[in-house]
Amino acid sequence: MNSSEPITGTPQPLLRVKSVGKSFGGIQALCNVTFEVAPETIHAVIGPNGAGKTTLFNVITGAYEPEDGQIVYENREIQGKKVHEVVAQGIARTFQNVELFGSMTVLENVLVGRHVRMHCGFLGAIGRWPRVRNEEREARDYAWELLEFVGLEKMAHHRSADLPFGWQRFLEIARALATQPRLLLLDEPASGLNAVETQQLGDLLLQIRSRGITLLLVEHDMDLTMGISDRIVVLHQGRRLAEGTPREIQCNDAVICAYLGSDEDMRGLS
Amino acid sequence: MSKMKHGFFLLTIVIAGMAMSNSYHLQLLTFIGINTLLALGLNMLMGYAGQISLGHAAFYGLGAYTSAVLSATMNWSPWLALFAAIVLTTLVAFLVALPMLKLSGYYLGMGTLGFGMIVFILIRQWSTVTGGDSGLVGIPALSLGPLSLASGKAYFYLVWAVVLMCFVICERVVDSRVGRALRAIHDGEHVAAAMGIDTSRLKVGVFVLSAVFAALAGFLYAHLVSFISPNSFDFLVSVRIVTMVVIGGMASIWGSLLGASLLTLLPEWLHVFTDYEMVVYGLILMTIMIFLPQGLTRGLLDLYEQSRTIYRRPATSQEPTANR
Repeated sequence: MNSSEPITGTPQPLLRVKSVGKSFGGIQALCNVTFEVAPETIHAVIGPNGAGKTTLFNVITGAYEPEDGQIVYENREIQGKKVHEVVAQGIARTFQNVELFGSMTVLENVLVGRHVRMHCGFLGAIGRWPRVRNEEREARDYAWELLEFVGLEKMAHHRSADLPFGWQRFLEIARALATQPRLLLLDEPASGLNAVETQQLGDLLLQIRSRGITLLLVEHDMDLTMGISDRIVVLHQGRRLAEGTPREIQCNDAVICAYLGSDEDMRGLS
Repeated sequence: MSKMKHGFFLLTIVIAGMAMSNSYHLQLLTFIGINTLLALGLNMLMGYAGQISLGHAAFYGLGAYTSAVLSATMNWSPWLALFAAIVLTTLVAFLVALPMLKLSGYYLGMGTLGFGMIVFILIRQWSTVTGGDSGLVGIPALSLGPLSLASGKAYFYLVWAVVLMCFVICERVVDSRVGRALRAIHDGEHVAAAMGIDTSRLKVGVFVLSAVFAALAGFLYAHLVSFISPNSFDFLVSVRIVTMVVIGGMASIWGSLLGASLLTLLPEWLHVFTDYEMVVYGLILMTIMIFLPQGLTRGLLDLYEQSRTIYRRPATSQEPTANR
């Protein structure tokens, strides 16, 4: 795709997490976490429960402000920015427990995702001048395209709460894509999906990457993670335990200990 | 579709206006219109954006008193006074909303309640301007150029024209980027923010919009009755507006009309119960909430749909019982 781009070493990373720390009360949820995400790759964050994965997501998206370190996105520091400002910069997310707008239709959910790329305010809504109507029509076209992309166009006018769980996951991804992100964070996208749906999800994520969007995902399903990820970061007790390609991670002794090891092994690690 | 609905609405107003000769009935309908405006505004805030206000009578009073003081005491044209009232209300609502809408749930209820009380006390105590407890008299009637709006019928048309205009405004806001964002905030504020919605800005916006509706209602009220006193804007009025929204149906524009109608008419109908009036009033509201918790609009629609399915397929509707 980007064949014109000169290949000189590693490309400029899209996201840099630089020695980030975050604690809640006395608990250090993240400690000195550093890693980089290259553009147009699928990057996974794995780790046992309580490793700090969701906290990491919340720090990147602006829900939490880190106490130490920086989050650098497209060469701009974004830590401490408000959540909606981060979205405007091009980082979208999905949630661990699907969080749709349940009272709204499938199409409307995706349209809400389009919000950040639209401009109409109260006066525009009341006036409905041509500019507003054009914008609305474009947003609807965009939303329909995304519904077709995830295969939910037939459900467009159903209430999102009435969809089966697996479809709700796909809808949530479509809604996040509607914000036109360059970086998409997926918090356990496969949890609650059956084997077929997980397969579909994997295909979908690869298609999203081929659209030029970088993916950062937290995932417990190891088959999926190892199958689609370009790189993996392993977190353990808030620290970065390892980083590498799926193959490297599978052979990493420290990682195996963290996942399977006894309590003694764990103590040895930390 | 919506054009037809508005046409039908307009036709109903005109027919009602022509058919009504009894000035008492006309006045009652005019009050329904004013209350509909109040409910409509609060419904945008409560029903759509999910933010409660227990102090909306303050904006109703602000609109009424600003216009009354300027036109009665200082001899301004009422329309200029209306403009001033709207500007002032916008300003006050904005300043109140900035800190207040950082609160949510019960705390927002408490905060707005407190604001309502402050304004109420201000109106009562600042007697040099507002006339205090004895009220403000001599508020001029409205006129449009040479056309006097003093008669009951003319005022009825004016109020309902404003209601229709506000209906259109609400429908347009609801069906737009802003309306979707408001509903998104209602469904989940942090998720809305994660979709890029500037939630605090929108909440302030919708608060100001609903305050302006209330001020407009206050203006219409003041120039209708020509005498206002603080008691028309006390805490109970705020509660009544909330009740109209809830009884009529949250997040329903037509529900505001239904709720306002019921709460305006009910006390008139219940006069026959004399001493027990309030008891019956309360019982009726309780019954509605118990059996139609979603409000009249949704509840009646559901009942209608149920009855249709029962008539159409009597066999299927009995099946589950037979299986058991």
